[in-house]
Amino acid sequence: MKFTLNIWRQKGPDEHGRFVSYEARDVSSGTSFLEMLDSVNQGLIAKGEEPVAFEQDCREGICGSCSLVINGIPHGPDRGITTCQLYMRRFPDGAVITIEPWRARAFPIIKDLVVDRRALDRIMQAGGYISVHTGGAVDGNVLLISKDQAETAMDAASCIGCGACVAACKNASPALFVGAKVSHLELLPQGKPERTNRVKAMLEAVDREGFGSCGNQNECEAVCPKRISVRFIAILNREYLRAGVVESGLPAEPESPHAEST
Amino acid sequence: MALSGLGLVIYVIFHMLGNFQVFEGPLALNAYAALLRDMPILLWAARIGLLSLAVLHVVLAIQLTLRNRRARPIAYAVREYRQASFASRTMATSGVVLLLFIIVHLLHLTVGVIDPSSVDRLDVEGHRDVYGKLVHAFQNPFIVAFYLAGQLGLGLHLSHAVTSSFQTLGLEQAAFNRLLKAAGPGVALLVVLGNVAIILAVFLGIVRG
Repeated sequence: MKFTLNIWRQKGPDEHGRFVSYEARDVSSGTSFLEMLDSVNQGLIAKGEEPVAFEQDCREGICGSCSLVINGIPHGPDRGITTCQLYMRRFPDGAVITIEPWRARAFPIIKDLVVDRRALDRIMQAGGYISVHTGGAVDGNVLLISKDQAETAMDAASCIGCGACVAACKNASPALFVGAKVSHLELLPQGKPERTNRVKAMLEAVDREGFGSCGNQNECEAVCPKRISVRFIAILNREYLRAGVVESGLPAEPESPHAEST
Repeated sequence: MALSGLGLVIYVIFHMLGNFQVFEGPLALNAYAALLRDMPILLWAARIGLLSLAVLHVVLAIQLTLRNRRARPIAYAVREYRQASFASRTMATSGVVLLLFIIVHLLHLTVGVIDPSSVDRLDVEGHRDVYGKLVHAFQNPFIVAFYLAGQLGLGLHLSHAVTSSFQTLGLEQAAFNRLLKAAGPGVALLVVLGNVAIILAVFLGIVRG
């Protein structure tokens, strides 16, 4: 197969970027998208040119490193996968493919297709954790969590933090990311004591990083490689409203699992 | 945004329901208009409340739009939307269309400065002849076209607005999600159909002066 690639090239954070066209020839249909870029880069290195910088790590869809907007859709045309799980057989032979980095003020470009996503880490540092020591594994049935609750928390926790939601959002809002993180902690007993301060701190961090606001367009849900539902954005909003009503700085929730013993 | 918007949506629904009295003839509509005017304190309280809701809504919208534009300084060269509806992506545009429509609508039928050929009269019961004014207005094809365009903007705006405001308020529950999702397009369709029925009924001569 043969493809024409329009790739965003940018030497550094403060440089001016532009699209450069490359030809990818003799590509097997079983090649993954990143392998195809590898072979293009081999060709560039052989010619003595600078290879295209792009981020990747596990290449099995769990690390959240790969971040390419392919023909206007983060992670490309298939649903529920990351860029590294995309195969060239998905494109017609001779197709023109435009490859861009995630575009958001909060994600400054480091080089070519690599962006700085530490803004998401700083949101997590603001409150996306629990402060208590969890200790060793507890005995079974000590901490009762209903199956529904456990599964919903797991759905939220499947977020790999790739930032595709921000990339897809018209407003570059991380609401789905923050919603997933807040919900996954809030739904479990270990996360409940700090829920009030957590949601406030994380949303304040979102504002500091210069992200946009959620317009409920749900485009994030459609590109999320883990198919995280926008219902977690509703839960995030509910948590934030609750935090506004409840007095902040409460040490613990009365509904903690040990409440019945007091 | 959500709360001020929902307040305005509730007004829009009652505005339509009140105007349905045009189908009951001139006396009913004129009596209804007189009833509203007979309570000046309530009338002005409602007007001030609506105006402040509208101003709040517009100011918040401008703030959010500017913030969201800043959040992506370099646009994508290629953009494909998978799920975001046309209405949801054009809220700012449909909002501006709607604002202009409302201003002209108020100048036209409330203040009465747009159409010089319209004259204020009294009906047989001595009420101001709102019915006659309405029928006069919607016999003019330009005014009808303008109002229909306004309804298009309203429908587009509401179809995203109502569902979106529920999501913003955190209303989400497996049993009600389909209802909440359908609320936006449903309310938009009902309001637009209702208003268009009034306009076209006059224009097509079903409701006469």
